[in-house]
Amino acid sequence: MSENADAAPAAGGFMESTLLRILAPTLLALLFLGGWEMMVRVREIPPYILPGPIAIWQTLLRDWGSLSVSLLITLKITFMALSVAAILGLVLAVLFAQSRIIELSLFPFAVILQVTPIVAIAPLIIIWVDDIAISLLICAWIVAFFPILSNTTVGLNSADHNLKDLFKLYRASRWQVLTRLLLPSALPYFLAGLRISGGLALIGAIVAEFVAGTGGSASGLAYRILEAGYQLQIPRMFAALVLVSTTGIAIFLALSLLTHLLLRHWHESAMGRGDRR
Amino acid sequence: MRTRYRIERRALLTGGTAFVLSAVAGARVPLAQTLEKLTFQTNWRAQAEHGGYYLALANGLYRRAGIDCEIRMGGPQQNPAQLLLAGRVDMIMSSGFQALNYVRENIPFMAIGAIMQKDPQGFMFHAEAGFNSFEQMRGRPILVGAGGRVTYWPFLRRRFGFTDSQIRPYTFNIQPFLADKQAIQQCFVSSEPFAARLGGADPRVLLFADAGFPNYQTTIDISRRLVDEKPDLIQRFVDATMQGWTQYLRGQDVAAANALIMRDNQEMTQEKIDYAVRALNERGIVFSGDAERLGVGAMTDERWEAFYTAMRDAEVMPPGLDVKRAYSLRFVNRRVGLA
Amino acid sequence: MSPRRPLLSLTGVSKRYATGTLALDGIDLTIMPGDFIALLGPSGCGKSTLLRLIAGLTAPSGGTMEWPMAMHDAAGDVERDIGFVFQEPTLMPWASVIRNVALPLELAGMKRRDAEERAAEWIARVDLKGFEKAYPRALSGGMRMRVSIARALVTRPRILLMDEPFAALDEITRFRLNNDLVQLWAQERFTVIFVTHSVFESVYLAERIVVMAPRPGRIAEEVRITAPTERGEEFRTSPEYAAQCRTVSLALSAAMGGAHE
Repeated sequence: MSENADAAPAAGGFMESTLLRILAPTLLALLFLGGWEMMVRVREIPPYILPGPIAIWQTLLRDWGSLSVSLLITLKITFMALSVAAILGLVLAVLFAQSRIIELSLFPFAVILQVTPIVAIAPLIIIWVDDIAISLLICAWIVAFFPILSNTTVGLNSADHNLKDLFKLYRASRWQVLTRLLLPSALPYFLAGLRISGGLALIGAIVAEFVAGTGGSASGLAYRILEAGYQLQIPRMFAALVLVSTTGIAIFLALSLLTHLLLRHWHESAMGRGDRR
Repeated sequence: MRTRYRIERRALLTGGTAFVLSAVAGARVPLAQTLEKLTFQTNWRAQAEHGGYYLALANGLYRRAGIDCEIRMGGPQQNPAQLLLAGRVDMIMSSGFQALNYVRENIPFMAIGAIMQKDPQGFMFHAEAGFNSFEQMRGRPILVGAGGRVTYWPFLRRRFGFTDSQIRPYTFNIQPFLADKQAIQQCFVSSEPFAARLGGADPRVLLFADAGFPNYQTTIDISRRLVDEKPDLIQRFVDATMQGWTQYLRGQDVAAANALIMRDNQEMTQEKIDYAVRALNERGIVFSGDAERLGVGAMTDERWEAFYTAMRDAEVMPPGLDVKRAYSLRFVNRRVGLA
Repeated sequence: MSPRRPLLSLTGVSKRYATGTLALDGIDLTIMPGDFIALLGPSGCGKSTLLRLIAGLTAPSGGTMEWPMAMHDAAGDVERDIGFVFQEPTLMPWASVIRNVALPLELAGMKRRDAEERAAEWIARVDLKGFEKAYPRALSGGMRMRVSIARALVTRPRILLMDEPFAALDEITRFRLNNDLVQLWAQERFTVIFVTHSVFESVYLAERIVVMAPRPGRIAEEVRITAPTERGEEFRTSPEYAAQCRTVSLALSAAMGGAHE
């Protein structure tokens, strides 16, 4: 006399949606690039004013050596800043959940971090901190920190109150409540904050390096953009810009994939269309 | 004849523009003469290092030459070369490096005059640190600006054995220098030392030019198109400019020019201007070498060749560039201003 | 009075909330091991509050609660051996069925493998064999409620507390689950305290029906069901059932007295 769960949605529907999800933006991108190239050719715009996509692509291939090194450096800073922001944000959010007093006293400082314009304080940080890489890391971290902290705090407070009663019933320790109930409840919120912060960390790293003007012996993409500007190597400047944009997209997709993998079994935001009961 | 007034557009520091009705000193022009317009973009906020231009404007040298010249002020993080390329201005204040960039990138622009025979940039340090030569700065942290990294730095690195790990970012702020007696930073010999002195320090400067750095500074860059279309206009502009510089550095009739500078740049003071003019003259930035023979703004093929060779060896420029395409000598070397 | 010792004795228990509302007043109740008790009453009669008091989720404002057969832990608190089934299934949505059912055992310190072994037994007992790895979102309402029941029973508690667990389900599922519950109880003989507002459900399931009245919450009457322990569809359509329902119905109306809602 047992009931049966409905069968998984038809395979065709899944294939359709993935194809569409990739096809649609790709098509639009190709249209845009084609239009750009055509405009540059038809109006004979010189490459030092506005290079076409093909010229940019050629420059990207030709200069891949130096650009890829810079890309790696920018990626490293972004990734490290994001990790520190995630860990610190998580730890602080857990602390906030444990004590209201701590939350009330520290939260204003977190908000101050959020609204501080990096453009203004990056030069100061670079002056105070002797190490270039660390000062860039700090700038990128400042920008990425708040969304994770804020979202995770909300998430930790949004655990089902019936579940909390259940844990109380079974006399769970504080640690058990934290690891088995609060943290899993907060996971969707944490991941949402992480997705936002991914792009912000990249922006922070780029802006900081822009403002710093110079790096040490190793420089990221922002410096390449500046340098190409000084040298009037406009196609190269655009090539570096393209790399920055692509990196931003890649970060977002990677974090979205992570979110999907972690939440696909149980959270509304990650479910496909057909799995709902 | 009557006094002509002109509505001048001034770029304010706050980013807006103001229309100012100003009497042009000493200008008596016949009615119904039309002036041809030219825009010139400088590479920083108004200062004594731009003095010749402001004098030519304030004392009517441009007007007498039939030119309605507009001087646009530059600033930090601005790149005048990009404005020139985009056609937003007719000419810019530039350096020898940009001219070589034009050749390398096959861009139809070039230099037509060089106000500063010696590059006024150098390293500034405290007297207490006691450096006597660039060699002694090996291995020390040095504050280098973004532009410097791709211009003078490779030259110095090659000649004196510096390494890139010495570079610290220079954010155009004097505080780090004042805070550290061992600090070394890039400077314009006519500017930063004054600020350092105001801050209570005793600064010394070693000029790159004295170490053999052959860059021309405060050059005039222009498009080939404009040179081909209006050579006579350009010649009049260059002559008026060189005349203005000669007068300015000799201290002749500089009051109006300095007033203009201080109005455009609210942070400029007469003290700073006097200091800068003194420094420019003492170090022979403008009046030296070829300029003593050929007049302010002089350029020679030999010098350009030497400059390109030095940059090629420092690996700033690729080999095989046709350096003659970077400049034109047709507008200078006319002994303007020399007795 | 039975010669056996009671499982739980409540004497004069009352509960007043911080807002001043008197939710329960002077509750006297004796619960024997193996009882199936229904707490029946309209909303506001404090039946859920009474359940939470027994569970230890909230403390009484007055009166005493004694657990003669229970152990006391280091802090002097009674070690209550309780399973609780809420009105919502209250499953952890991020965990599979077996992880949910194993939770109480693991919270008590059992190793994961042993806990999951025991959990698997109970999952089978509630007729969900094969769904161990499924996630709650993929299950129907009735199935989720079975998981909740399995979780409540996995520790083999002395008392199973159920707070209107089937109220949100459709009738067919409700009847099915009623049968399953009674069968389980007949096999395992744990004590059940079942909160409901349905006369029919209380008569079908329970041996003792405690009828409660509201404002303030108190016990109005207790009705004993003298029916065969074998509950089945025949019982539901028998004249005995109808007669018992009528008795209880009358008791309930009397309890609600002049309070017309």
